[in-house]
Amino acid sequence: MSAYWRPFFSFNKYSQISARALRNSLKESERLAAEKRGLTGLRYQKWEGGQGGQQTWIDPPESTGSAAKSA
Amino acid sequence: MAALRTIASSASLSAARRAPLAFANIRRGYAEVAAPAADKLQLSLVLPHQTIFKSTDVTQVNIAASTGDMGILASHVPSVEPLRPGVLEVIESSGQSSKWFVSGGFAIVHPGSILTINAVEAASLDSFSLDAIRQNTAEAQKVIAGSASEEDKIEARIEVEVYEALQHVVTN
Repeated sequence: MSAYWRPFFSFNKYSQISARALRNSLKESERLAAEKRGLTGLRYQKWEGGQGGQQTWIDPPESTGSAAKSA
Repeated sequence: MAALRTIASSASLSAARRAPLAFANIRRGYAEVAAPAADKLQLSLVLPHQTIFKSTDVTQVNIAASTGDMGILASHVPSVEPLRPGVLEVIESSGQSSKWFVSGGFAIVHPGSILTINAVEAASLDSFSLDAIRQNTAEAQKVIAGSASEEDKIEARIEVEVYEALQHVVTN
């Protein structure tokens, strides 16, 4: 069972995809808490001369419905 | 020369006997991890969000390693095994066996019968919904058969691997 995904993904990405697949297969009652675990969000802000610039989302949370970019 | 040596050694021996016996044997070192009971495995099964077992003495752990299924008992040789999506079974000291489906991770046996299993996601077998699994498999198969990018197809393939392993266990 060689790792066919090696040319495409890092191990981290692979394990996150696997984890997401597991979460999507849970019963409805458990899925709510589990979905939150799959979300990662990142904002960045550039600082110049002691002043912070605009805080921008890398992946605005409203627009991404799927967990495709969760890793 | 040989004679001198024996005199010297007998002198040091008697010196040791005069000193308190406790001092002769104690060496100060670092604090040591409490060893598991004899014939028991000290298991720590951890997920990023939850600790399932924390240095608990168990009898046996069956894991689905990427090289094949294996059972780990006390005094196992130290090894590092990547896990494939599959079932992890823990047989505790009481004889109770509990199973979890693990999405992947690593099982590391340390010297001294200490087993650490790190997984990203794990859930007990009754937390899954067969309908959801079937639906997800069908959707992923569609992606594989369709005209999505190579990356999307490989992603779907990884997911199918998890769903198929799940279907095996949840049906039974």
